[in-house]
Amino acid sequence: MAANQEKPPRRANHAARQPAKTPPAGGGGGVPPSRAGPAQERRARGLGHPGPGGFGPPGRLAFTPEHREELQRLWGEMVLIRRFEERVAEMYTRARIGGYTHLNIGEEATVVGALTTLRPDDYIFSNYRDHGHALVRGIAPRAIMAELFGKETGVVHGRGGSMHIFDRERRFMGGYAIVGGPLALACGAGTAIRYRDEDLVVMCIFGEGSTNIGYFHESLNLAKLWRLPIVFLCVNNQYAMGAPVQADSSVPEIWRKPCAHDMPGERVDGMDLLAVCEAVTRAVRLAREQHEPSLVEALTYRYRGHSMADPARYRPQEEVNVWLARDPIVTFRQQLEQAGLMRPEEADAIERNAQALVDEAAQFAEASPAPEPTDLDRWVYA
Amino acid sequence: MGSMTEPAAVKTRRTPRPLDVDLGGAELRAICETMVLSRALDERMWLLNRQGRAHFTISCQGHEAAQVGTAAALRRGEDITLPYYRDLGVVLWMGMTPREVMLSFFARADDPNSGGRQMPNHWGHAGLRIISGSSPVGTQIPHAAGVALAAKIRHEPTVTAVYFGEGTTSEGDFHEGLNFAAIHRLPVIFVCENNGYAISVPRHKQMATATVAERAAAYGMPGIAVDGTDVLAVYRVMRRAVDRARSGQGPTLIDTRVHRFTPHSSDDDDRVYRPPEEVESARQQDPVEKFRRTLVQHDLLTTAQDHELRERVAAIVEDAVVFAEQSPLPAAADLTRHVFAESGRR
Ligand SMILES: Cc1ncc(C[n+]2csc(CCOP(=O)(O)OP(=O)(O)O)c2C)c(N)n1
Ligand SMILES: Cc1ncc(C[n+]2csc(CCOP(=O)(O)OP(=O)(O)O)c2C)c(N)n1
Ligand SMILES: [Mg+2]
Ligand SMILES: [Mg+2]
Repeated sequence: MAANQEKPPRRANHAARQPAKTPPAGGGGGVPPSRAGPAQERRARGLGHPGPGGFGPPGRLAFTPEHREELQRLWGEMVLIRRFEERVAEMYTRARIGGYTHLNIGEEATVVGALTTLRPDDYIFSNYRDHGHALVRGIAPRAIMAELFGKETGVVHGRGGSMHIFDRERRFMGGYAIVGGPLALACGAGTAIRYRDEDLVVMCIFGEGSTNIGYFHESLNLAKLWRLPIVFLCVNNQYAMGAPVQADSSVPEIWRKPCAHDMPGERVDGMDLLAVCEAVTRAVRLAREQHEPSLVEALTYRYRGHSMADPARYRPQEEVNVWLARDPIVTFRQQLEQAGLMRPEEADAIERNAQALVDEAAQFAEASPAPEPTDLDRWVYA
Repeated sequence: MGSMTEPAAVKTRRTPRPLDVDLGGAELRAICETMVLSRALDERMWLLNRQGRAHFTISCQGHEAAQVGTAAALRRGEDITLPYYRDLGVVLWMGMTPREVMLSFFARADDPNSGGRQMPNHWGHAGLRIISGSSPVGTQIPHAAGVALAAKIRHEPTVTAVYFGEGTTSEGDFHEGLNFAAIHRLPVIFVCENNGYAISVPRHKQMATATVAERAAAYGMPGIAVDGTDVLAVYRVMRRAVDRARSGQGPTLIDTRVHRFTPHSSDDDDRVYRPPEEVESARQQDPVEKFRRTLVQHDLLTTAQDHELRERVAAIVEDAVVFAEQSPLPAAADLTRHVFAESGRR
């Protein structure tokens, strides 16, 4: 992704939002002066999507031979999430996993496209739909699966479960069950970064339903006022439990909402990995180099119910079919194959690899010991 | 007040532009009187506080046009208001008497606001449909959305108006209240009295947009900025918002630009965070004086009427203070009344 991060995107309809000048590559240390410029220039806008192959300039991630390896890796990440989540669903119905469990199935392009733009030392605040986020961040599938099983070998020793994956080393600052809560926490991390004068970025991931919570408003307000380096990534899967977005949001275009804070916002096709990658790369640059927080809305869909407890009877099958036809894993594979960047046997190998990782994770989780009752209060209090 | 001199404009008068409002002379004079009365009561509260006769006050001074101008577009006894602590002008217009105001100020037993339980200026009056607020800023905003939802469900023609400062628009309650009201197209009007300070914090340190009105776009509702020192401009804007709300077209956010002439409250010293010249220049735009001048220019307030009005107001204030100060304090035996819900009482 290095190439992706160094070159600014160039597309005619992005012009109004571009920084006037490309900052020198690699120069993230100094605190740039306050970014003035007329408000309109930074005003939230919706972006059309140019479709596959539309990301012109060489050096950026595109379906071209020099990106072959990287693109295959990204497809593999999506496949891993899908296989992992399918196994989680199976294990849940077999009562190996308790509590609430929320799957990323359908959202893979958004998850992979967004998280792959970050540096290993950047921070991530996720929500309860966090398995895929943790996988892309590099947390071992077995450590996540064991966590879901509530085993001692889980990433937080089985104490957190599905909704509370946490890994300090990877700066994965947690899944959280409270809708909107992580936005305020992300502001705390952003303040710490500014206080220490670091060139780090915080990515905060939440659903469109969360944007109706007071925390959303307060967090965006502070982030903008204090110039916190935060990328607010709204995964708009169009439902908050059974509520469609227009039932709980007065403005269903989430990208418009940051206008209340004079903050840039944009919408991107969340089923298109490269489109997400491009938009978030820009948001990350804005945060890292200019301490300008922004919001990216990725329009996507969850193929399953809200959680394992939800049969999702509140939406018509025709609607689901429309989004199933845009399955990011299928379409990305087609694009790669059409561009001659992935042979069927390569795809099969990637599939097998993902399957093997998931099998191993499930076996590991199954075989792992439960926490000792005597350890009950460990990692509970400071 | 006392020192209201005859404005210079009267001597060099030209034919003024017509007033362009659907209000007659008597109504305009009533608006003026309520503004003058608000100012006079407020000034007296400061005096009483400084004399040690009352423990706290928080002012409407500088906000009178925004308050009375908006309230004047509402229906008394039918529409519902959720004022905040500065809204003396709103509650007087909606029917609270100066005696009642002073009963609350002195925390007397007969105070209709709360029987002396709430802090002063925490307005509430069941009979006048003024809904009591809490001290945490912004809580009244989601309450207003709920009240408006009730009216909608019951098919009542009631409009709800809720008031708050610009600092409060950075609270989550503001966001949740406006979002809910906009989704359900509720008959509610959000009135911001934008005085540029949240206690000592200037506007640019607590919000990124230049105006509060801009924030309305995030909720898909109209946001209208208006000169809050011009009572008729405020009235016209509110009038349209009320018509919109009553005809089922949903909520409006009104951003009235006002000046706070006093420190935040009687416990604040604003000299440590703003230059005195700032207030001095703001006083050139005194909304009360401005409106009085307008009425005089339009021959809607004669010198005699003006004189009479001020005499009347002075007497009303005097009466209210004497009445309230002589009223009994709540009895110790009643300590828990008006604190918890009481069965059989509404
Ligand atoms: C403060 C709070 N309110 C309600 C809930 C219950 N709840 C859990 S998830 C959810 C829906 C959130 O929807 P969205 O933000 O769109 O995320 P999604 O689940 O679609 O990814 C709700 C209401 C909660 N966890 N926290
Ligand atoms: C939730 C909450 N936070 C802080 C306070 C303390 N406080 C009381 S008034 C006030 C300022 C509010 O400013 P604004 O909304 O602009 O109204 P103004 O007083 O300027 O009319 C603050 C911070 C409070 N009462 N409630
Ligand atoms: Mg959602
Ligand atoms: Mg204020």
